[in-house]
Amino acid sequence: MSAGISLLKRTAVEANTIFQRLDGRVKFLYFIWATVLVYIFYDPYLTLAFLIVTLAMAAYAKVFKPIAMTLLIIIVPWIILGVLILALPFGFPWNKTVIGYINVLGYRLPVYLEGLGWGITWPLRISVAISSALFFYLTTNQAKLVATLFKMKVPFKAIYMIIATFQFIPLLFDEANTIIQAQISRGLKTDVGVLQRIKNYLAVVIPLTISALNKVQTRAITLESRGFSAPVKKTFLYEARLTAADWAFLGIMAAVTVFLAWVYVTIGYSPVAHLQWIWA
Amino acid sequence: MSEPIIKVERLAYSYPRKELVLYDINFEVNKGEVLGIIGPNGAGKSTLCKALNGLVPHFYGGKYGGRVVVAGMEVLEHTVAELSTKVGIVFQDPEEQMSGLALTVWEEVAFGLMMLGFPKEEIVRRVDEAIKQVGLEGFEKRSPFELSGGQQQRLAIATVLAVKPDVLVLDEPTAQLDPIGKFEVFSVIKRLAAEGSTIVVVEHEIEELATFADNILLLDQGRVKAYGPARDVLTQVEKLKSLGVDPPSVTELTYLLNKELGANLEVPITLDEAIKIYAEALGVS
Amino acid sequence: MSEPIIKVENLWYQYPESNFWALRGINLEIRRGELIALIGQNGGGKSTLAKNLNGLYKPTKGRVLVEGMDTKEVPTQEIVKRVGYVFQNPSHQIFESKVYDEVAYGPKNFGLSEDEIAERVEWALSLVGLQGYEDVHPYDLDYGKMKLLTVASVLAMKPDVLVLDEPTTGQDHRGRWILADLSKKLNREGFTIVTITHDMRYVAEVAKRTILIANGQIVMDGPTRKVLTALDILHKAAIKPPQVVQLAHALREKGIDAGDPLTVREALEEFKRLFKK
Ligand SMILES: Nc1ncnc2c1ncn2[C@@H]1O[C@H](COP(=O)(O)OP(=O)(O)OP(=O)(O)O)[C@@H](O)[C@H]1O
Ligand SMILES: Nc1ncnc2c1ncn2[C@@H]1O[C@H](COP(=O)(O)OP(=O)(O)OP(=O)(O)O)[C@@H](O)[C@H]1O
Ligand SMILES: [Mg+2]
Ligand SMILES: [Mg+2]
Repeated sequence: MSAGISLLKRTAVEANTIFQRLDGRVKFLYFIWATVLVYIFYDPYLTLAFLIVTLAMAAYAKVFKPIAMTLLIIIVPWIILGVLILALPFGFPWNKTVIGYINVLGYRLPVYLEGLGWGITWPLRISVAISSALFFYLTTNQAKLVATLFKMKVPFKAIYMIIATFQFIPLLFDEANTIIQAQISRGLKTDVGVLQRIKNYLAVVIPLTISALNKVQTRAITLESRGFSAPVKKTFLYEARLTAADWAFLGIMAAVTVFLAWVYVTIGYSPVAHLQWIWA
Repeated sequence: MSEPIIKVERLAYSYPRKELVLYDINFEVNKGEVLGIIGPNGAGKSTLCKALNGLVPHFYGGKYGGRVVVAGMEVLEHTVAELSTKVGIVFQDPEEQMSGLALTVWEEVAFGLMMLGFPKEEIVRRVDEAIKQVGLEGFEKRSPFELSGGQQQRLAIATVLAVKPDVLVLDEPTAQLDPIGKFEVFSVIKRLAAEGSTIVVVEHEIEELATFADNILLLDQGRVKAYGPARDVLTQVEKLKSLGVDPPSVTELTYLLNKELGANLEVPITLDEAIKIYAEALGVS
Repeated sequence: MSEPIIKVENLWYQYPESNFWALRGINLEIRRGELIALIGQNGGGKSTLAKNLNGLYKPTKGRVLVEGMDTKEVPTQEIVKRVGYVFQNPSHQIFESKVYDEVAYGPKNFGLSEDEIAERVEWALSLVGLQGYEDVHPYDLDYGKMKLLTVASVLAMKPDVLVLDEPTTGQDHRGRWILADLSKKLNREGFTIVTITHDMRYVAEVAKRTILIANGQIVMDGPTRKVLTALDILHKAAIKPPQVVQLAHALREKGIDAGDPLTVREALEEFKRLFKK
């Protein structure tokens, strides 16, 4: 009935590793922290390091597959496009250092170091942001997170907005799945090529989005009717105290921050500077 | 002892930019009573339910006239959030009942209790009890979205049973339940009423309703067509039939017998009454 | 005229990633022209079985043959042409934004011409009494009409077998009789009809054969009168027979023989006979 929801949810329930047990806030902080750092540094190697660490944690927490799939779909095409556009002579002002030539359709085109750096770094940066956000999402029990937010006295409206954001994607998956089942049972051809599949998919994107949005609204009605913003003190069955593991994780983040601050001060942050530094 | 917990006076309502769907509705439900609402599709039953917990008009907007007072709160002057502390509602589509914030059946039932601030031990006790009442033992750890239609409807009912609100509004709660399940759910509802909850239930399942409802309100095209003690409404066979509502089988059977044979049997509304009446009439006791 | 149109051989089914069997060894033959009710307790496996019949689900073990075709080997679109399934929850089935388009979706997949499609849509809508609603958004219909729309949109594909999953839920009594008459009418015209329902009054009025399912297995399968009067077995499977059956049963225990009526009409005749004595 709802493969989408279960796909994303089950991963959160079934595995019970240290990362699932970490406090949602700590993992959320990790997402913000990693995203900001790779943004400041702009360095492909550092960004790659962050990506590898995040993916390694994801693998340990048994949520590697959905994250990898998302990256594959969103990021890989970007890298190819980005590298091509940025590294080849399309007249970008930052392109100065030629590091080699490639042959395209008989033309000998120069490849620029700066463009290559940008072309690789940008998608990597976004990969870090996406994978750390998904890591947070997929390993965090939403009910627990909501409990934590209530405890932190975040206003009901804001909590609701956070929930709606997080539920939209699974609801979308869910709707897509439901509609495809409905269509198959009414004669949609299933033994067709990729192109036809994409076309079929595009044909339902709009109704899909509308109905997922409707569902988000229905959820709001349900939550309201079930006392979500009732003016009473809530009870929570979950402890929202930080554990030793949470503190350790925070400690590691702090240490890395200090180290990177030192690097920042001594070396600077231009990707080009880094590339040259490594090249040399 | 009769103090009205629900008071509806001259209620009229239309969804935004639409015709009126409720006209001049008047009724009262006393503490501990069960009111059954019956009527054909599109009569406005679900809309009326939503008027009792404030979704109409607070969420849907539209034109609103008259007054609805529930558990001492005038609906127009209180938010849905405030009303939610006194009124629990079970929606017609069980999927709509799900919070989306619960990974398991157990958590789904606990959700409402947590939001309303019940103490921890109480929550655990009530969740287990409600799950048992609807016959979902053994499914506690299942995802709310991996249930059969009837199981999901049972879960939807449990989420409100657990809260035991002052006022319970149930919109066709047993439509997808198997016959014994229907009976069990109605028994639980009846018990809650005996413990002091006030209950409004929309049902097409008139044979069950006949054994549980104190009063019945017959709604058609937004208007009240009959309202009063269950027996008075359900024995108006002609009127019910003309609106496309079937009375209980035994009621219809007896009505037809009286008409076609000129017999003068007392008209039963429940099976037990029928057995007694027929046994006596046919010379056995 | 009674070759099996559907043959289910030792069907076992497990939902992906779940660890229990929703269906446990179903054996079943459905013949052309039958009018069948599928009853049983919640979670018994009725919907799961229905989705195995139209190829939406594939057996985990065992086989389902539709007109001799193994559902695992033939593309699903070939199966759904022959076995149409109307979902239990209408919001799981409706996806177009106009009643007309919703009904036209199936025929369109068969590559019919515009005219033929229009004809089929009109035919299907008029059967369920929804002519005039062509341009309405399906979600603006009340629940009862929404269910009728889902029936029409499967009917428009003219499948040999029509599987209706709880068509009467949320239906007022008028809608229930529309469906009952429609089922009988279509059945007379040669459609094979399988109806899943918890409404025993409906079963008594409509079905010729009744299959009782519990815990993923067939508990009983036979003429409706025989199944609906087997009170002990029914009770174990969480089914209460129609009120008139219970009345006749209770009176028999008191020594009054009111026969074996299933419907109010039949009961009326029995009691007329008794009272005239
Ligand atoms: N959100 C809405 N916006 C506009 N009109 C609505 C909305 N919900 C219901 N209606 C209309 O209001 C009328 C009453 O609908 P309602 O759902 O209350 O009927 P009902 O008696 O519950 O019917 P059913 O037995 O089918 O559930 C119908 O004509 C319906 O089309
Ligand atoms: N999507 C799903 N994932 C996992 N298990 C499921 C799913 N849907 C149903 N089940 C389980 O499979 C079993 C059979 O369900 P099914 O929906 O076939 O029952 P049913 O007889 O149609 O019941 P109902 O009368 O409640 O509709 C049940 O135990 C149910 O919990
Ligand atoms: Mg309704
Ligand atoms: Mg089912």
